[in-house]
Amino acid sequence: MSGQPDLGRADLLTMLAEMTAKPVDQVSDRVGSMELAWLVHLVEQRYDRRLDLTDDQLAGIRTVDDALAVFHACLTAPADG
Amino acid sequence: MLLAGPSTDVCFRLPDPVDRGTLRRLVGEAQARLAEGGLRPGGAVALRLPPSLAYVVNLLATWRSGAQAILLDHRLTDHEVEQALERLTPQVVVAPVRTGPAALKVFVDVTEGVTAHSDRPAGSPHAVIQLSSGSTGPSKVIGRSAASLVAEVRRYTRIDGVALPGERIILLPSMVHVLGLVGGLLYGLHARITLVPPDRLSGDAVLAAVAADDTPATVLGVPFHIGLLASTRSAGPLPQLKRMTTGGELVPAAVVAAFTDRFGVPLGNMYGMTEVGVIGTDLHGRHRPAIAPAPGIEVRESATGELWVSCPESPYVGLSDPDRWSDGWLHTRDAGLVDPDTGLVTVRGRLDSQVSVGGLKVDLTEVEATLAGLPGVGAAVVVYDDGITAYVQPDGPLSEEALEKLIAERLAGYKRPRTLHLLDRLPRTTTGKLVRSTQALRAATP
Repeated sequence: MSGQPDLGRADLLTMLAEMTAKPVDQVSDRVGSMELAWLVHLVEQRYDRRLDLTDDQLAGIRTVDDALAVFHACLTAPADG
Repeated sequence: MLLAGPSTDVCFRLPDPVDRGTLRRLVGEAQARLAEGGLRPGGAVALRLPPSLAYVVNLLATWRSGAQAILLDHRLTDHEVEQALERLTPQVVVAPVRTGPAALKVFVDVTEGVTAHSDRPAGSPHAVIQLSSGSTGPSKVIGRSAASLVAEVRRYTRIDGVALPGERIILLPSMVHVLGLVGGLLYGLHARITLVPPDRLSGDAVLAAVAADDTPATVLGVPFHIGLLASTRSAGPLPQLKRMTTGGELVPAAVVAAFTDRFGVPLGNMYGMTEVGVIGTDLHGRHRPAIAPAPGIEVRESATGELWVSCPESPYVGLSDPDRWSDGWLHTRDAGLVDPDTGLVTVRGRLDSQVSVGGLKVDLTEVEATLAGLPGVGAAVVVYDDGITAYVQPDGPLSEEALEKLIAERLAGYKRPRTLHLLDRLPRTTTGKLVRSTQALRAATP
């Protein structure tokens, strides 16, 4: 895939809302390990590719915005890298 | 009971097969390392290892050395581990000296090291010690005797719907906690079932693990894992998938429907506690939300509507509390009903401050006591409001970032508040007691 992926903050919040069965506006901005596993899984399903995140990348994710930045970096990297 | 059997039996697929002969050899080598490190029969070993072959091998080696295993969740902070070691005085501590990539891994590649810790014998005759988030602040210490573990493994062999000899368990829960430890590891080894941790924590990886072999597979997990599977894209039939079974909190009906529509196999439910292991099951999903008591387990309803479970000996170490265990009955602190005609048990929720986060029990009192004891914190109230939520009154300058850092040093990730509110003044009653109503706390938040 080339260019910026069409993945926005709102998409991640919708995914978290689905996990917690809460309205989107009540989803916490904070991302724990379980939320992160859920987001990675759904982003992988959406783009039909595996995101190979490093331990450092995962450890640096505390918020939805952090997650979005890491996902963008992964999705713009070559798929077979 | 666990290691006996043909050498060529495959116990694990990681994904390379680990057979029983290899496991016996690794356990023998680990026994020698534990002895060199200072372990003697009657001592205790603290295992501070992530889910890994090293964890399994050292646990079995501990028992074969005639010692007690103290299971420390690898997510506990140094502070939490120090507190535990101070109380439990193991002779040796086994911890990783090298860990392979751990990102989203279910099983990790670990090289372990053995460190001498004390020269004291084990503090109790139990075979295994587990820590449970405690209502009085520090973690509760729970012991299980060898007889109790053996009895639980035998219970599993008599439950209709568990994985059978020659089949596979796709293992997702942590083997430090009772579902993964006894329902996965110990029952699997005993019943000659191959244990298969998926390559990583994702729906596709679980399905790939199921599809990797021809034998029937049962997915063992917690409710969170159901969503992972239910939201995968269909890639054709998966005839090997026999059932998914989860422990932990109750699963909403919509999640059950999404899973069974997608896979067409039963979604089983289990109810258990660290103190006694599996209490009841509904592995065919026929009684939801009720469960049938496991063979040999009696469940009764107390006069106050609390579920009591037969448990011959008190599982608590250094704690004598008749409100938790008395006269052969474990007081579960779960409200519930026992149907007098069918014996089916319906769990209706906690009677205390314990909540379940991804299948792990967290006592809000422990979180609150930890927060209240932090420098810069004047008072704290912790409630469950769609997640662990903390309201903190600082007694000086305190930023949310600084507070988060302090909390991260003290509490394992799953115990940390998902939402933090710093308030100039926490709401109090007219007599000065902290108010715990979620509504009042929300109203007091700017």
